[in-house]
Amino acid sequence: MNKWVLNVIAALLALLFIFPLLWMLLVSLKPDGTSVYSLADWVRWSDLNTDNYVKVVRDSEILRWTWNSLVIGVLTTVIAILFSSLAAFSFSKLPFRTRGLFYIVIVSGLLIPTEAILIPLYETTLHLKLIDNIWAIILPGLTNPIGVLLLKQFMDGVPRDYIEAAQIDGSRNFGLWWRVCLPLTKSAMVSVGIFYFILSWNNFLWPYLSITSAENMILSAGLPTFLSNNTMSLNMIMTASAIAAIPTIVVFILLQRHIVQGVSMSGIKG
Amino acid sequence: METIRAESQAGAAAARRTRRRGWRSELQAILYVVPFLIPFAVFYLWPVLRGAWMSLHVWGIQGMEKYVGLDNYGKLLRNPDFYKYLWHSFSFVLLCTPTVIVLGLLLALIVHQKIWVRTFIRSAFFLPYVLSVSVISFIWLHLFDPKNGPVNALLRLFGSSGEVNWLTDKHFVWWAITIATDWWTVGFVMVLFLAGLQEIPADHYEAAKIDGAGAWSRFRHITLPGLSRVTKIQIFYQIIASLKLFGQVQIMTGGGPGDATNTMIRYIYVTGFKKDMFGLASAQSILFCVIMLLFAAIQFKLTDRKDG
Repeated sequence: MNKWVLNVIAALLALLFIFPLLWMLLVSLKPDGTSVYSLADWVRWSDLNTDNYVKVVRDSEILRWTWNSLVIGVLTTVIAILFSSLAAFSFSKLPFRTRGLFYIVIVSGLLIPTEAILIPLYETTLHLKLIDNIWAIILPGLTNPIGVLLLKQFMDGVPRDYIEAAQIDGSRNFGLWWRVCLPLTKSAMVSVGIFYFILSWNNFLWPYLSITSAENMILSAGLPTFLSNNTMSLNMIMTASAIAAIPTIVVFILLQRHIVQGVSMSGIKG
Repeated sequence: METIRAESQAGAAAARRTRRRGWRSELQAILYVVPFLIPFAVFYLWPVLRGAWMSLHVWGIQGMEKYVGLDNYGKLLRNPDFYKYLWHSFSFVLLCTPTVIVLGLLLALIVHQKIWVRTFIRSAFFLPYVLSVSVISFIWLHLFDPKNGPVNALLRLFGSSGEVNWLTDKHFVWWAITIATDWWTVGFVMVLFLAGLQEIPADHYEAAKIDGAGAWSRFRHITLPGLSRVTKIQIFYQIIASLKLFGQVQIMTGGGPGDATNTMIRYIYVTGFKKDMFGLASAQSILFCVIMLLFAAIQFKLTDRKDG
C-alpha cells in the first residue's frame, strides 16, 4: 500500500516535470493562431501539423545557429579536453619544482566566474579583433580548469608500474601520455567532455554579447534576439524553442547514462 | 683530507649535472601545461588584472579616458541602486538555494526507492537541466501568461480566481523565476544526491532496522549525516549559481516590473553594454567578485571546522 502511494506520487511528479515540454511541443504542432487552453485542446490531435516548423526554418536562420552551436560545442570540447589532459598529465606524472605554483594559478580559475570578468573580457576580445567570430566563444571556453582537476585525479590513479614498464620500453614523456595515460582515462574524458559540451551548448551571456551578426549567432543566444524583436504568435515562439530543444533532448535520451555520470562526477569532485 | 676534497668535488659535479638535467625536465614538464595556459592567460588571467585596472578609470567603449583612482568605487558605494541590486541577487539566493536543495533531496529519495519505471522517472526529473536558459525562459514566460497560461489555468481548476500576474506583479515575480529555475536545475541537485545516497552502506540501514529504528529515525540518523558532504558542496554550488542569475530575468522580465528583478550581473551588463561605462562596470564586477569570494571563504571556513 505504502509502495503504491510512492509510485503514484513519483509518476505524478514526473508528469508535472515533463508537462512544460509536452505543452511546448503541442503548441508548436497546432495551427498558427490556435491556443492550447482547455483539456479538449489537449486531446484533439486531428489538427496537428508541422507547418510552423517549416515556417520558422524558412523565415529565420535557426538551422544555421544550430550548426554553429554544434561546431562551437565540438571544437571547444575536443580542444579543451586535449589541453586539459596534457596539463593533467604533467601535474600528475612529471615531478617538477614549479608544479605547485602552476597548479594553484590554474585552479584559481575556479574562483572567478566569466560573469564577473565580462567587461575586460569584451575589451580583450575587441582588441584581438575577435568580436563576432566563433573563436570569441571557443577560446574563453578553454579556460575552465575543472577538466584539468578531474583528469589529474584520474591520472593519479594510473599505476606507477604501467608508467615504469612503458619507460623501460623506451617511451618518453609524450609516449607515456599518448600510449598509457590517454587510453586509461578515456571514460573520464568522455564524461568530462559531455559536461563541457552541455556547458558550451547552453552558454548564453557571453555569446549574447560577443556575437553581433545573425550568421555567426549560436542557438541559445540567437533565440531571444529572434523572438524579442518580433510580434510573433505563441505557436511560432514554441516552435522555435522546440527546434532548439529537440536536438538536446534526443542526445540526452541517447547518451543518458554518460551524461548523468559526467554531471555527477564533475559536480561532486569539482 | 685529499680524499674528502676529491669526494666533495665529485659531489658538486654530480649536483651540477642533476641540476642541469632538472632544469631541462622542468621545462619539459611546463611545456605540457603551456597549451592550456595560453588561452587561460589571455582569456582569464589577463581580463582579471585588466578589470582591476579598468575599474580605476573612466572608460568608454572607445577606450580609456582618464585615471580617477578609487572614484568609481566611491560612486558605487554611495549609489542606493548598488545595494538594491545586490539585495535582489541575495534574495534570489535565499529563495532558490533552499528550495532547489530540499526539492532535489526529495526527488533523489524517491528515485532511490525501487519504484516503477525508475529510469524513466529519473530522466523526467533531469531532462530540463540539459536545455538552454533561453529555451526554459521562453517556455516559462508563456506558461506564466496571466490570461492564456497553463499555470493560471491550473490554479483556476483548483478554485483560485487565477488572476495572478506572475511576471508583472512584484510580489510574485521572484517566485515565478524561482519556480522556473528550480524546474530547470533541480535534476542536477538530484543526481548529486543520488550519487551520495549510493555511497551510504546498505548494512547501516539493516543494522538500524534490527535495532527497531523507524523510517524517519533512519533518515535522520543515517541518510542525512551520510549526505552531509554532498549537501555542503551543493549549497556552495547553488549559492554561486544563484548569485550569477542573468538569463532568466533578461528574457522573462527584462529586470522588471520596474527594476524589481534587476540583479547584480544585469546591473553590470546594463552599465557596461547599454550605458558604455566600462570603468564603472568593472568596479561593480570587482566588488561583486570580492563579495562572492568572501562567501566562498566563509563557507570554506565553516565546513572545514565541521570536518575537523
